[in-house]
Amino acid sequence: MKELSLNVLDITKNSVKAGATLIDISLVEVGSLLTLTITDNGCGMKPEVVETVMNPFYTTRTTRKVGMGVPLLMLAAEQTGGGVTIESRHKEEHPENHGTVVTATFHTDHIDFTPIGDLVSTMETLIMGSPEIDFTFTHDMNGHRVELDTRQLREVLGEVPLDSYEIIQWIGDFLREQYQPAE
Amino acid sequence: MTVSELKDTLSLTPVTLPEGDREAEGVYIGDLLSWVMGRAQADNVWLTIMSNLNIVAVATLADVSCIILCEGVTLEESVRNTAEAKGVNILATEAPAYETAKRLTELGL
Repeated sequence: MKELSLNVLDITKNSVKAGATLIDISLVEVGSLLTLTITDNGCGMKPEVVETVMNPFYTTRTTRKVGMGVPLLMLAAEQTGGGVTIESRHKEEHPENHGTVVTATFHTDHIDFTPIGDLVSTMETLIMGSPEIDFTFTHDMNGHRVELDTRQLREVLGEVPLDSYEIIQWIGDFLREQYQPAE
Repeated sequence: MTVSELKDTLSLTPVTLPEGDREAEGVYIGDLLSWVMGRAQADNVWLTIMSNLNIVAVATLADVSCIILCEGVTLEESVRNTAEAKGVNILATEAPAYETAKRLTELGL
């Protein structure tokens, strides 16, 4: 991936496929350490499956033999001296409290760190593609915080679907405004 | 030209050669795997300096005829074994990608 925001899109789509109803995407930058965490309440994976998603020759898709989402995230993290961990609770063993947490760390001052890219577009794309799912997004940049919670939007919007053009545009503007450096 | 003929003509080091009779056509050069995955064409010779297991997966997805590891890059045994098992041809050279590409051009690829 040329930009980290594309990895975020790729990994979050796994949460969508896992049937999640709430997905949290969090980026925290402290100095030159960036921690990306994607948490979902989807069906989760059994321990033996968690091992195989790190292997590029595994996928849930039937159209091809290999799945590259997690391996490419691992490559992006490891080439900066960071890494990826996955914790998952499968719904069969944890019927009340299942889901997956993918955590990736990056050293942003490493020469092979790929740019973060356009996270606003990533969020717009995700919400547009799955308007029935709730997303919480936070990006903490050494104390400057950008956040979005679609549950709060729904309270205000009532029955208006999140994927309507005006809402997506509003979400994009709302996030971009927060990214503007404080005056 | 087949991958085996390519290896002999350019004196490349065979790393894995499970399908040496495959025809090679065209060349793609790149190290950003997600980029290569979407752009390399089937039967291309792929020149790279990357060496992790993901290159075997990308070679399979893009269906390239072989990988040429440039600049003396070597593979871990486990990566080599997977490539062998998945039928991915891998050759190696001390030359950089540009020099290797020039020699491939001279061969008409």
